[in-house]
Amino acid sequence: METVRILLVDDEESIRLLFKEELEEEGYLIDLASNGFEALEKLKAQRFDLVVLDIKMPGMDGIQTLNEIKKIDKDQRVVLLSAYMEFKQDFSSWVSDAYVVKSADTQELKDTIKNILGA
Amino acid sequence: MPELRKDPIIDRWVIISTERSQRPVFLADQAEVPKPGAICPLCPGNEPMTPPEVFAIRPASVSSPPNSPNWSLRVVPNKFPALRIEGDLNKQGIGLYDEMNGIGAHEVIVETPLHTQTLTGMDVPSVRNVFVAYRERTLDLLKDRRFKFVMIFKNSGSTAGASLAHSHSQLIALPIIPSRLSEEIKGSLNYYKSKDRCVFCDIVAQESEERKRIIYENDHFIAISPFASRFPFEAWILPKRHEESFLSSKHDDNYLSIADAISTVLRKHEKILNSPPYNYMIHTAPVELSGAPYYHWHIEITPRLTKQAGFEWGTGFYINPTPPEEATIYLQEADV
Repeated sequence: METVRILLVDDEESIRLLFKEELEEEGYLIDLASNGFEALEKLKAQRFDLVVLDIKMPGMDGIQTLNEIKKIDKDQRVVLLSAYMEFKQDFSSWVSDAYVVKSADTQELKDTIKNILGA
Repeated sequence: MPELRKDPIIDRWVIISTERSQRPVFLADQAEVPKPGAICPLCPGNEPMTPPEVFAIRPASVSSPPNSPNWSLRVVPNKFPALRIEGDLNKQGIGLYDEMNGIGAHEVIVETPLHTQTLTGMDVPSVRNVFVAYRERTLDLLKDRRFKFVMIFKNSGSTAGASLAHSHSQLIALPIIPSRLSEEIKGSLNYYKSKDRCVFCDIVAQESEERKRIIYENDHFIAISPFASRFPFEAWILPKRHEESFLSSKHDDNYLSIADAISTVLRKHEKILNSPPYNYMIHTAPVELSGAPYYHWHIEITPRLTKQAGFEWGTGFYINPTPPEEATIYLQEADV
C-alpha cells in the first residue's frame, strides 16, 4: 500500500513535533512547514495527499494559505486546525474539507484524516 | 437633558443622550471593501465546497439538477455546525444544573449568486424569494418535534459578524426558546393580561397616530424607529395587522410587502450611513404559541454604528446618542 504523505503546517514548533509523532504512529509520512509561505513552496515542489493547516499564524494566516493552496490545486484536500472555535463560524473555512479544534488529544484529528482519506 | 426611556414590552431602559445627538455623518464609517482574491464557497461553481443544498430557487425555463450552478438562491446546511442535527435531546439534571445534547440545525441562505451584490442591490421580487426561503426552511425544520424555535438572522459586514462578503443570512433551529425572545413574550403576555390588547398592535396604532417615528410604510407593513431605540438608527418592521408568527404571512403578496419594506429601510440606511454593517433578526412566536393574541412578529434591524462598553454590558442599559425622532427625520428624507 502506498504511503500517505501529509504536510503539517503550524507556526509553533512544539505542536508540529507533537502532531508529527502522533500521526507517524498512524503510519503517515509527515512533512513540516512553519508558515504559509513555506507550505506553498513545498506544495509546488511535491504532491501531498493531505494538508493539515493551522489558522492563526503570523504573516499569511491559515485561511489565506488555504486560498492560495486551492489556487495551485483546487482538489488538494485540507484539514483546518485551530484552537479557536470562532473560525468555525467563518464561511471562508468552508473552502477546506474539515475543521478540527486543536487539542492535545489528537483522536479527532486522526479520525478526521481517516474519514477524508477513506472517502 | 438626557432622557431615560423604557421599552414598553420588556423592562429595559435606554438613555437617549440628546445633547450628544450625532449626525449620521459622524456615526458612519468607511464602507468595507471585500478582500480580493479569496475563494468564495458560496459562489456558483463552488457548490462542491458546501454541503448538499436543502432548498434552491432555479429558473423554471432551464433544467438544472440540485447542486449545479444555475440558481438564484440556495440554502445549505452549515458545513461546520456548532450544533448537530443527529441524536436525541437527552435532557437531564445534574444536581441543580440542567443539560441536554447540543441538538440543532444551522443553515445558510445564499441570497444571490452574485458575489458582490448586496440585499439592497437586489430587486424586490428577489428579496421576496429570500423571505420565501426563510418560510419554507422554517416549516420544514419545525416538522422535527425536537425543535421549538427557528431563529432567522442576517449579519452584514465584518463588524456585525459576517466573515464573508457574499450576501447571506442564517437560520438556526433550536430545542429551546432563546431567553431574549422569552423575555419579550413574557412582557407581551403581561401587557395583554392587564390591557387585553397586544402591545405591538398598540405600538403600531400609536405610531400611526403620532407619526413621529415612521420611517416607511406600505399596505401591510410599517417601519418605525422604536421609542426606546437601543442603537442609533435602529428600525423595526411590523405587520400592521395582528400576526403572531412570521409563518402567518402565507401569501406571496405579503412577502412582497415585507421585501419592499426591508429593502427600503436598508437602502435608506445605506444612503445616509455609508453602507453600515448591520444585523437583522426576525422575532416570531415559537411554534407552541401559534395563534397567540398577545405576541406580534416583527423584524429588528440594528446598524452597527456604536460599540457596547462596560456600562452597557454590566447594567443592560443602552446609551443611544441619536434620538429615534431625529433618526426618523434623516431616514424619511433619504430618497431611495
